Amino acid sequence: MSDVALPASLATAPAKERAGHGEALAAWLLTLPAIVAFVLMLLIPTLAVVAIAFTDYELGAPALRYVGLANFAELMEDRGFVTSFRNTAFFVAVTTPVSIVGGLMLALLIEGGTRGRAFFRAVFFLPVVSLMVAMATAFQYMFHPTIGPVNAALRALGIVGPNWLGSSDSVMWTLAIIGVWEQVGFNMVLFLAGLTAISRDLYAAAEVDGVRSAWSRFWTVTWPLLGPTSLFVLTITMIRSLRVFDIVATLTQGGPNKASEVLLYTMYTEGFTFFRMGYSAAITVVFLLAVVVLMLLQTRVLDRRVHYG
Amino acid sequence: MNPGSQMPGSHDRSLAADLPRLALLSVLGLLFLMPYIWMVSVSLKPLDEVWRASMSLIPETFAIERNYGRVFREVPIGRYLLNGAIVCFGILVFQLAFALPAGYAMAKLNFRGRETLFAFVMLGLLIPAHVPAIPLYIAFAQTGILNTYAALIAPSTISVFAIFMFRQFFRAMPDELIHAARMDGLGEWSIVWRIIVPNAWPAATAFAIFSVVAHWNDLFWPLIAVSGKGELATPALGVIYFRTEEAGDDFGALMAAATITTIPLVAAFLLAQRRFIEGITMTGLKG
Amino acid sequence: MTFRLTRRTMLAGAAASLAAPRLAFAAPIEIEAHYAMPAVYKDVKETIARAFMAANPDVRVAWRQPAASYDEATQLVLREAVTGRQPDLTFQGLNRLRVVAERGLAVDLAPLLKAEGDPAKAGYTPELLGLGQAGGIQAGLAFATSNPIVFINADLFRRAGLDPDRKLTTWDEHIEASKRISALGGGVHGSYYRWQGDWIYSALLFGFGGAMMDAAEREIGFAGPEGRASLSVLDRLVKEGGMPALSGEAGAQAFAAGKVGMYYWSTAFLRQAMNSLGQNFRLATWEFPLGDKARGRLPTGGAAGMILAKDPAKQQAAYRFLRYATGPEGCATMVKGTGYVPVNQIAADDPRFLGDFYRDNPLFMTGVRQMPIMVPWYAFPGANGVRITSVITDNVSRVVEQKAPVDTALADMAREVTRLLPRA
Repeated sequence: MSDVALPASLATAPAKERAGHGEALAAWLLTLPAIVAFVLMLLIPTLAVVAIAFTDYELGAPALRYVGLANFAELMEDRGFVTSFRNTAFFVAVTTPVSIVGGLMLALLIEGGTRGRAFFRAVFFLPVVSLMVAMATAFQYMFHPTIGPVNAALRALGIVGPNWLGSSDSVMWTLAIIGVWEQVGFNMVLFLAGLTAISRDLYAAAEVDGVRSAWSRFWTVTWPLLGPTSLFVLTITMIRSLRVFDIVATLTQGGPNKASEVLLYTMYTEGFTFFRMGYSAAITVVFLLAVVVLMLLQTRVLDRRVHYG
Repeated sequence: MNPGSQMPGSHDRSLAADLPRLALLSVLGLLFLMPYIWMVSVSLKPLDEVWRASMSLIPETFAIERNYGRVFREVPIGRYLLNGAIVCFGILVFQLAFALPAGYAMAKLNFRGRETLFAFVMLGLLIPAHVPAIPLYIAFAQTGILNTYAALIAPSTISVFAIFMFRQFFRAMPDELIHAARMDGLGEWSIVWRIIVPNAWPAATAFAIFSVVAHWNDLFWPLIAVSGKGELATPALGVIYFRTEEAGDDFGALMAAATITTIPLVAAFLLAQRRFIEGITMTGLKG
Repeated sequence: MTFRLTRRTMLAGAAASLAAPRLAFAAPIEIEAHYAMPAVYKDVKETIARAFMAANPDVRVAWRQPAASYDEATQLVLREAVTGRQPDLTFQGLNRLRVVAERGLAVDLAPLLKAEGDPAKAGYTPELLGLGQAGGIQAGLAFATSNPIVFINADLFRRAGLDPDRKLTTWDEHIEASKRISALGGGVHGSYYRWQGDWIYSALLFGFGGAMMDAAEREIGFAGPEGRASLSVLDRLVKEGGMPALSGEAGAQAFAAGKVGMYYWSTAFLRQAMNSLGQNFRLATWEFPLGDKARGRLPTGGAAGMILAKDPAKQQAAYRFLRYATGPEGCATMVKGTGYVPVNQIAADDPRFLGDFYRDNPLFMTGVRQMPIMVPWYAFPGANGVRITSVITDNVSRVVEQKAPVDTALADMAREVTRLLPRA
């Protein structure tokens, strides 16, 4: 029941036919404040930006001109934009599964006993509350190829560590690692909640049915019941990964040579650093279209699989 | 590894049997905390000890006065923390006020356009924060509310994530409760006020954590909305005060500022933890 | 206390009572001023403002929340210009004067300066004035400047059998020294040239006598022999000198940890360097090597004050403050507080202002000695002006990472930048 677009006819209890008008009116009134806020703070500004995508507006310029699809044409030829797209896709493809599986594993570990639960929950949630601007220096140091502890540890094992953040070959991997670090705690908490909701009786019943080992308990009871949680976590994690920005802005600024450039960072720098608002708006439009398509695909594909009411 | 809490036998485990699990968690925990440990260590060190080639966590000379002192002297950090609290609280209040009724309506009430509304909610989740910024800035400037708490709070009052979450939560709530209330002749509004809100408390606590964390650390919008003498600056602005590219950061003070602004969040999480887990449990993410 | 009611006192009293109403109505004019990098400038700016206000009680300087970097300061000004809320006075990075001036936001300071007589007499040499010229007007007055120098780890030099106090002046010598220091091993790098950003790259280019664009600003000027020589230096530093391809912060960290022999960066870093090194190793500073001793120049970093106020009274007030801040006293305060290079010739030459400071801090003299060859930080024309600088950085990084040979990178750089220039 946590899927995205359930047909109205399948929703909740059947006895909702009566008082159709009164109910509809009440519903609209209840959602009205949210709708107003949404329209004012999100919808209209976004539409304004979409409109700007068809102009040559520069920040601070006294006037702007309509240029049709010129910005989009330029976008298609822009080697930087294509790289940006690819890097973002890479980041999402790596951080999403790892942070979901990692979050689940941590949740299982923590819930697997009674000792230290509150402590470990806090420990793994800490990265979520971190301010990347401050953490950036810590990560610069951690991953420093010559004076950093990561490579020092590798050296002790006889391995020559890469130039994590400075080489265009390894920079996206490093950012993905940091991205997982940031996200795992968030997912862990969501899974924790899902796990604590699974009733003990189900495990007892399973045991009666001959399911004994931890692994089969997981597969027959835990995993199916976590389905809807997992779907929620998947959606949220993908969206958060798509919107990666802070770690790029503070650690690499898209470098070296655009090796770590991501969509939102490109959008930001074009508009706020290079002052080319029209072009930045065009990137925004492409970004929104891409993610909407992605979300639609995801709900269509997974909607059927996971359903446990 | 044992899935699920209160697994048969898991709560009476002896320390010895629990050791592998605790050991694994401790090792992982240490890895996760490394950046933080280093951050706090740097905040205690004088500048010339930070980059010594031989790494040591304990400072030779403690520079607490120098680093933390500099933060408190040069930046009205107490004021910034207060602003952070006011802004986050204000945002949370409005987010709940808008999302609770909306979530309920979309979960329990039957009306045409419900699915379209939900599609808009999902769309809203995808819009990055930078997108509405400039148009909102211009609009706020025209209406004269720039550089006020209102400007800091308003754009975040609509949280589509909250609506999403509360919709899930209310779907899991038994309908009988609401039927009974209707039988008693309560109108929709009273139902919301008298039944929904009190029952939504756990989910609201859960959401509150995510919301506060996100907005406490927000750098981008406050930089745009606080355009005057900076009395309304938020915690993150106090941290970037010490970042300068050309001349080199004052790492000790930077880490000290970061530590100071992170502590309230950690404290809040520790306090709210139990409520929080409870809250999400009942969000019906299980279905 | 008795008050003698003499004729004199009565006359004085009458005069005072006539003057009093006028004084009471002359409320101070308040100007809003804005700058970037508070960690560096806050103390200095506030000290200067206080001294100015003490001497000029009819003007009040109110400081806006400072920006974290020069780029953010520009963004703020442009953004606020849209709503008419820009500050009266702003200190912008020298390469951003053009963007602000070309939007028509800055007041031309030339007439104001001329009204006071010959600017050179007040310490504003033509070179110093040139730093603040953009968009065809005197858009600003330089407030704090920096130039590129070489930071030397004297201990590593000694260990490699070199003399840190014998300054090497050609790139060949530098590359050779870098090679010898890298040979020490143990994670030591001979040199690190912080190449990210167009400013430090132009240090090489201008040093060889080159320019970013030709005088008419039609053709790019960095694709010729000077540009090629510049990229070759970096190429050789990496190939022969053992320079690592680190990010800017990582390079600075490595230097502070004593792992880098020669660190090429701005004098602005000197104060912080001295603080963060402590007794870890002995620091020396050398002048930046010039590829062409006769034609070589160096780019100037730092900030200049621009007047954005529209109201004439505020313009006047802002001008008076700016003149004080860039005058001998203001300049001396700035240098002592930040370690940047002076922007006022009187302050630089007259020992009364900075003589003690330079005697006690000889390392800062390196930047001062380079004052005669400082030229403006170049800003490209057109809507893509800022973007071009990132194109340059991207191509330079290909050479440093050894992903492209010098000629390829140079050709690509030339082509991509030309595409971004305004079509004449």
